[in-house]
Amino acid sequence: MVRTLRESSITTYTLQCLSDFEDAYQRRINELTARRNQARKIVGTFCLFVPDEIIYAAGADRVILCGGRNATVSLAEEYLPRNICPLVKSSFGSVVSTECSGGDACPHFNLIDMVVAEATCDAKKKMYELLNEYIPTYVIDLPQKPDSPAGIAYYTVQLEQFTDAMEGLTGTLITDDRLRREIKSANETRSLLHRLYELRRRDPPPIRGLDVLTVLQKQFFLSPEELRRILRQLCDEAERKPNEGARKPRIMISGCPMAGGNIKVPKIIEDRGGVIVVEESCTGTRAFWNLVDEHKDPLRAIAERYMQIPCSCMTPNEWRTEHIRELVERFNVDGVVYYTLQSCHAYNIERFRVQQALKETHTPLLAIETDYSDSDVEQIATRVDAFMEMIASSP
Amino acid sequence: MHVAETIYRAVQVDAGIRGGDIENVVATGYGRESIEFANKAVSEITTHAAGVSYLFPDVKGVIDIGGQDSKVIAVEKGRVVDFLMNDKCAAGTGKFLEFTAKALEVSTEALGGLALASRTPVSISSMCTVFAESEVISLRARGITKEDIAAGLVESVAQRVSVMAKQIGLKENVAFVGGVAKNAGIKAALERKLGVTLFVPFEPQITGALGAALRGKAQVLAGHEALLRSCAPPSKR
Repeated sequence: MVRTLRESSITTYTLQCLSDFEDAYQRRINELTARRNQARKIVGTFCLFVPDEIIYAAGADRVILCGGRNATVSLAEEYLPRNICPLVKSSFGSVVSTECSGGDACPHFNLIDMVVAEATCDAKKKMYELLNEYIPTYVIDLPQKPDSPAGIAYYTVQLEQFTDAMEGLTGTLITDDRLRREIKSANETRSLLHRLYELRRRDPPPIRGLDVLTVLQKQFFLSPEELRRILRQLCDEAERKPNEGARKPRIMISGCPMAGGNIKVPKIIEDRGGVIVVEESCTGTRAFWNLVDEHKDPLRAIAERYMQIPCSCMTPNEWRTEHIRELVERFNVDGVVYYTLQSCHAYNIERFRVQQALKETHTPLLAIETDYSDSDVEQIATRVDAFMEMIASSP
Repeated sequence: MHVAETIYRAVQVDAGIRGGDIENVVATGYGRESIEFANKAVSEITTHAAGVSYLFPDVKGVIDIGGQDSKVIAVEKGRVVDFLMNDKCAAGTGKFLEFTAKALEVSTEALGGLALASRTPVSISSMCTVFAESEVISLRARGITKEDIAAGLVESVAQRVSVMAKQIGLKENVAFVGGVAKNAGIKAALERKLGVTLFVPFEPQITGALGAALRGKAQVLAGHEALLRSCAPPSKR
């Protein structure tokens, strides 16, 4: 009879199997708690530049710790400046929150043995220094010019050192065989995500953007097996779904990550009549687009793949603009919403070049800079409405 | 939405028409969604473009500075092709002028005239409305004339809005609407910064409403045409 109570909420999903996803979070917390009790090491991560392959090859598990909730932002402001990115503040606020232990602010920090961080943007780097006082924080250094041979060589060395650190944590030797197995596993997940995104090329797509986002937000939270199980279910159901429904403006979101709990802008877009067909984001294509070459030296192949992530911390990051143009064409995008978190200078500045590139293809762009609070929801809604009206009126 | 309802009734009385005679209502502006008697809601960006294009058919750009926000809109044949809106805060809006005029102890309406009379405008460095207010007070304390301070305030708003206008490439045939369009000082400052003569409609505050009305009319006419087509006897070939 519980079923009937849930019936009404199920209809809000675009695919039935998403209802099965509702308790994935709690199941995972239970799983991690059980694993921890069996002495399995668990690391926390904040970024796509930390290779899953190495963590799993060391026999550890991982959870992503990026904060997407507004509630913990003000907690962090006791320690961090007000005018930095809300994702950094939200994440840090979860750690220092006194309610954290056992409360609902962050059940993850108590589960992890070590944070594996990365030297990306300034706010994150400096936050990690403070974080280290609460929990051991290992930082992987990154080159700034990832296309250069020296850049890839440098990153490979950083990964070798990270491998040593993981071996130290778990006591498990990371052999090439173990790495190869994990590369295969991660590639399998990436391929499934490609399968899902291929389905979104349909018009109208069989699944709305918000539903894909909530899955993507858990990509590095769930275990790879569980994520793949969900992705397979989603793809199977989406493939069977008849192609029907009204055509809506096809929107791409491009820019800053949308960490778990943060669905503000995508929700406005889809509530106002658009449908998100692709996210050029860390919670989107950046997380899975390229695969690791399974035939090369494993560590080197991992380094090469991760150096292709078009993060705005990198320079000159030409590949991102090219990638955006490819995605616009591939997903038949009507308009791009350029999403920047307040004080994220790197993505904010790159907006200019993206805008120039999209002008050449006559793709309209709406720039939105925002934080996690609800204070500007009405303002954004007005802009999104005008953007959709503009798309609808275009010849 | 009590206010909207009251205005709607008053307008009917003024125009000498009855509610039953109105076929279509289109709402626009903030709160457009909560107008219960409206048949459709359209954003003010689209309706400003439509309203201004009706008055000024060659228009290529619209600058709208209202009480809550400012917008710049690029227009092509009455259609929005690009737009920008200021973010979140009151800088570059009518609210900025309202607050700082109060600190200057003059009416918002008088600010433009004062600014035009200035010989040596000061530069107001605070974009933030609250900080600008205290800046005005300290400038007054230093004996700077009201004219020069007013010119600085006007300059500050014009600077902020002209940057947005340049970002979307407004160069010619630009109209200026919204409550602040009545301010001759801002108009002059914007014209100087953009190198254009701005077209200000007779009633710059209602171009959004005009655009919504035109949209509503177009919908009704399209509906009638479709009805006529469906009733007409099949044509002989």
